[in-house]
Amino acid sequence: MRAVVFDNEAVQALSDPDHDKHRVVVAHLAAVVTRRRKGALVLAVVPTAVRVEAGWDRSDARAAAINRFRVVDHNLDTAVADTAARVARRTGASVADAHVGAVVRHLPLDDVVVLTSDPDDMARVSAPKAITAIRI
Amino acid sequence: MSRTTMLWYIGSVVVSDVLDKLNELLDSEDGSTVNTSMRLPSALREATALAVEQLGVAPSTTTFTTAALRRALETAVMEAALEAHYGQYPAARPSLAEVALALAAQDRSALADQPHLIERAAAEVAARYPHADADDVLLWAQAQQALSA
Repeated sequence: MRAVVFDNEAVQALSDPDHDKHRVVVAHLAAVVTRRRKGALVLAVVPTAVRVEAGWDRSDARAAAINRFRVVDHNLDTAVADTAARVARRTGASVADAHVGAVVRHLPLDDVVVLTSDPDDMARVSAPKAITAIRI
Repeated sequence: MSRTTMLWYIGSVVVSDVLDKLNELLDSEDGSTVNTSMRLPSALREATALAVEQLGVAPSTTTFTTAALRRALETAVMEAALEAHYGQYPAARPSLAEVALALAAQDRSALADQPHLIERAAAEVAARYPHADADDVLLWAQAQQALSA
């Protein structure tokens, strides 16, 4: 079971067909579908704090297209917020990046992929858990 | 009618409306259940019960069937959403090689660092098997590598 987590840049790229990385991110989503068609359980995940940073309001009509891709929310609930606070304090990361790190820790999966503009930052907020950080 | 056009309209219904309704239903927290009149092949039903009881694949046949149905529906929605997106933005459609490259990166495969090999493999596989997918491309590329080693 794998989770493919979107950071702010990945969300920006997915939501804007004119973004220069749009096709790259779409290719990653298509890769998720490729594996799911074969029965693998692969989730596309966005931390809700990343949605805030990226301005992705699911209730906004302009978000209708990106909502259809089924990139599911990982909520900043009490336990995740506590973890994210510790990550932010330790690394000085932004709220959104700290939430990514908390999501990586809270997902009950060993195989976590993060689509990001900054793999080093994502590895830092996710440590000590190993991730596959892919630069988009 | 082209596949793209078919994906935008089912009869008089716009696919985006169908996808929105499907997503709404899949995300619903309404836990109410319904006794379905869906007819299952009896052998399949018996196999499911046996797998649940003896192999522990799920807590119950209902859980197993519901999870399988949900996974299949979610995948169908994701795939249809991508196809609809490509219909609206043809330039957004990644090539087979681009999807294979993305998959290689997600798999942490060394092939992710060899885009030219993947491009060549994609071209060769697609020429022989028009319905090949990204996994087929990666397998082909690995086989080519093994042969040339």
